[in-house]
Amino acid sequence: METRKRAFLKVIILGDSGVGKTSLMNQYVNRRFSNEYKATIGADFLTRDVTVDNKLVTLQIWDTAGQERFASLGVAFYRGADCCVLVYDVTAPNTMDSLDAWRNEFLEQADPLHHDEFPFVVIGNKTDIQAKSEKNSVTQSWCSGKGNVSYFETSAKNGSRVEEAFQTVAQKALEQDTELTKEAYPSPIQLPQDNNKSHEGCSC
Amino acid sequence: MAEGKEAEQVSTSDSDQADFIEPETPVEIKNSMLVTTDSYEHIDYQDLESPVYDSHPSGIIHAIVRSGSVEESTDTNDEELHTQCEESNEDASSNELSSKEISDVTEEVSKPEVPELNSAEFDEDDVQTPEWRNQKKHVFILSEAGKPVYSRHGTEDKLVTIMGVMQALVSFVHDNGKDALRCIIAGEHRFVFLVKDPLILVGVSRGQDSTQQVLLQLSYVYNQVLSVLTYSTLHRIFKQRRNYDLRRLLSGAEKFLDNLLNMFDSEPSFLLGAVECLPLDSVIRDMIAQSIVQHAKVKDLVFALILANNKLVTLVRMKKYYLHPMDLHLIINLVNASESFKAAESWTPICLPKFDSSGFLQAHISYLDESCQTCLLLLSVDRESFFTLSDCKNRIKDRLLKYNGLKAISDSLTRTSYSIQQCGISDLRHFLYKSRSTAQYTSPELEAPYLSQEEQERLFGLYHYLHHRIHTTARPLKILYSVGPHETLLGWITQGFELYAVFGPLVTKPAAIHAINRLLRWIKKEEDRLFILNSVTF
Repeated sequence: METRKRAFLKVIILGDSGVGKTSLMNQYVNRRFSNEYKATIGADFLTRDVTVDNKLVTLQIWDTAGQERFASLGVAFYRGADCCVLVYDVTAPNTMDSLDAWRNEFLEQADPLHHDEFPFVVIGNKTDIQAKSEKNSVTQSWCSGKGNVSYFETSAKNGSRVEEAFQTVAQKALEQDTELTKEAYPSPIQLPQDNNKSHEGCSC
Repeated sequence: MAEGKEAEQVSTSDSDQADFIEPETPVEIKNSMLVTTDSYEHIDYQDLESPVYDSHPSGIIHAIVRSGSVEESTDTNDEELHTQCEESNEDASSNELSSKEISDVTEEVSKPEVPELNSAEFDEDDVQTPEWRNQKKHVFILSEAGKPVYSRHGTEDKLVTIMGVMQALVSFVHDNGKDALRCIIAGEHRFVFLVKDPLILVGVSRGQDSTQQVLLQLSYVYNQVLSVLTYSTLHRIFKQRRNYDLRRLLSGAEKFLDNLLNMFDSEPSFLLGAVECLPLDSVIRDMIAQSIVQHAKVKDLVFALILANNKLVTLVRMKKYYLHPMDLHLIINLVNASESFKAAESWTPICLPKFDSSGFLQAHISYLDESCQTCLLLLSVDRESFFTLSDCKNRIKDRLLKYNGLKAISDSLTRTSYSIQQCGISDLRHFLYKSRSTAQYTSPELEAPYLSQEEQERLFGLYHYLHHRIHTTARPLKILYSVGPHETLLGWITQGFELYAVFGPLVTKPAAIHAINRLLRWIKKEEDRLFILNSVTF
């Protein structure tokens, strides 16, 4: 029962506060950047239509608060995500160290079917300030150690590699949006519970 | 209407009550064909949250029959009533979140930051159009992941953001002490939430509907989804994939949701939890039922019914199995929303959630007359029985033709219902009468001044108001006499019936009471014709 309806893909952005999650989203969706820092309270939602494999899909991007005091939108919030973006700041090495914690938090809360296969995209942001991450190799090996993880270094300010990063996000997310296996399709008719009983009713 | 509320009186004094002499139950039968639940009380929060009919999808019919009979006995049990009342009070207090909590929530979820950021994009957004915003009633379905499944108005594509916000609100409240978000009142809008794992249903009403009435509507919408997918399938899917885009499996079924919601806005049957029967001479109705019994005695056939213009002509059931009014409404909706059944005999799977939410019944659907007014439905658990049932249908049709059954049905349809004048009661403009024991109701045609669409909607609003005031869990009433600027309303609930009557504004209370008593006598006299009193089984 394939439909032509456009797929919605839910993407969650996580990372320490100030690494540029909201800026990345704004750059990607609105192609804008503001130097002013405003902490995200709770979450923001933006959408963008993007073509992947000749299919038009809608990315539903859930930008979250990095600051712990705002990060309380609840377990259910992460559920049903198709891809998770982990962001760190290339100029602040300690934010890279948090990736493990964010990844674990996501897996714990979203609890996807296969933890090891769930797609992540890691983004080292702010390459406009520092062209190459000191932690480039560390991050690379972290990513390759985690299975389905891609790595990009971007600048939300000048837009460098932001498109490519989110294109990969969309690609990976779409891979999650697969058809159901046969068993999930509507079951054939089942006799209402107890066959004998209904026949009793019939025969008298 | 609004001014009217101030002038209303609630008759509670003994002298007032004495005027209402409860007649012997006008319609009394032991063997009802429909499960007679008192729909309204039945569909309260407790029921909606009760896992009973969800977690035991099979064999639920027995539980429903039990709960139906228990409920009637509690009517007389004061102690039980009392505790119920306490529960419902608690319910009411936890019901509406304190304004502080609400403001916490709204602070926590910041709106899509500054609109100027993406104003260009938002211009195309349905959400921003006045038409969309001015809709009286919105209904949204989303998955627990926040993915859009259905929206009554606008396309879901444009509503991704608003559905995300809804999911965030539900999730946030749920996380703070395992609470549940039930209702937000913002200005003249009422946002009602129904969380039915794995779906979230949200109703937004600008009208007079109470929270419970919107909730009733949402539970119908949920059951309509189950009717297409079954409960078991819905759960299996989301267990397999939380991120699943349910629109795929529901594509093609949107029209049933649209139609259900439209019917809900114009037909009192949903509000009353009752069905309307086509008025027919009882001898003819018996003949029609016997035609089915004799010619459709087929193994595994659970229900056989004839519908005409959304009204029930007859229902024959397998012994021990009953049809719940909610399920019957879904059947009526299926027929009402489909043109394709008029073209050919159809064989359609349908899940009746109150009957058995785990699987499909197979429905043989056909029209018996050329003009496609009289629809026969044969519901079986055997999915191989199409040709057997098709034979049954032909034999039933032949017999109905031979004995003028179809003619009687079409004659009754041309007469439409009946005029209020036939009741012979001046001052009385319109009424709804529900026989509680049979889950059936009767109502005259709409006549002046209720001819225009606006006036009909207003009348319907009055009934909603009256129904809500009488059934509100915080303070249920037996009698309500309410004088408004354009109409005087009288609602009266007894063990046997519910009556909602609309008079002209100048009627006096004694005249209204007198009129009601005459109306009840008239209904008693006509009950053989207006109601199906004997339940026929195979």
